[in-house]
Amino acid sequence: MIGMLLAETPALPLDEAGKYVAGAYVVFLVLIVVYVAIMASKLQRMEKELRELASFAEHRAEGEAAGNEREEVSADV
Amino acid sequence: MYGKGLRPLSIATVVAIAAGLSLVFFYAPLDADQGFIQKIFYLHVPLAIVALVGFIVGGVFAIAHLRSGNRKWDAYSYVAIHMSVIFGVAVLITGAIWAKASWGHWWVWDEPTLVSFLIVFLMYATYYPFRYAIEDPERQARYASVFAVTAGAFVPLNFMAVRMAQSLVHPRTFGTANGGLPGSMMFTFLVCLAATALLWVTLVKLELTAKSTSGQLKRLRRALDAPAPGGGGSRIAPEVS
Repeated sequence: MIGMLLAETPALPLDEAGKYVAGAYVVFLVLIVVYVAIMASKLQRMEKELRELASFAEHRAEGEAAGNEREEVSADV
Repeated sequence: MYGKGLRPLSIATVVAIAAGLSLVFFYAPLDADQGFIQKIFYLHVPLAIVALVGFIVGGVFAIAHLRSGNRKWDAYSYVAIHMSVIFGVAVLITGAIWAKASWGHWWVWDEPTLVSFLIVFLMYATYYPFRYAIEDPERQARYASVFAVTAGAFVPLNFMAVRMAQSLVHPRTFGTANGGLPGSMMFTFLVCLAATALLWVTLVKLELTAKSTSGQLKRLRRALDAPAPGGGGSRIAPEVS
């Protein structure tokens, strides 16, 4: 079978080979783009989570500061 | 920490890929035997080499993990294998495109190089279900490392066996029987190989940075989720999945 394949497969002309070469390079490009898109969505998720945590930390700090003020006032009274 | 040096590495990768593509299409001569279709080899062969070396590198990191018990090496091993599997997908698709153009068939089952690469690829495709079937993180890391070492040792053995199997139709890039590649083709090939290797390293670093950042976020969430010293015990929103 291999011998028959070799005998029947001379070099393709440029116009026919071009689409295969382009196909191979486009596949590679698509894989990279898909990977980058997946990484971008991960980054977006992390950014969202970080924003949530930052806002939570700020609220907590504000709450603690208010609590300290109340303690000081009650101690004065 | 993993993100250190990512920017210059990314720039170097882009420059190397641009140089490689320019050389492939404007410098390297057409192959006398295969014609224009041989240009696929400047993509397909470096991808295959880098993927196989990546599997071995994953095994080396796994050895470091088993010796030291440091989970950092397990993360390196996982990411190296993960990236090599992605490169493996590209190898199989670009190889099939070349086979269709050159042989008239997408796949030839009696060609040892193709089948052996498919075996290696499928073996590593089982790495994910194998790894994530184990819940305990310590055991998961240890068993995955054993898998990575065993499979990593199989890769060069498989490569040598195929080399000795006297391939019939799969061309040899570094074949010595007919003098190998001419200088201009070899130079182009080596630039493409360097560009592909740089791409692999960059993507591994990027993935490690993302994983590390995600881990740090989890730590931060746990720390903030703990009840405040003054009482309260308020809970933050559930993790974004």
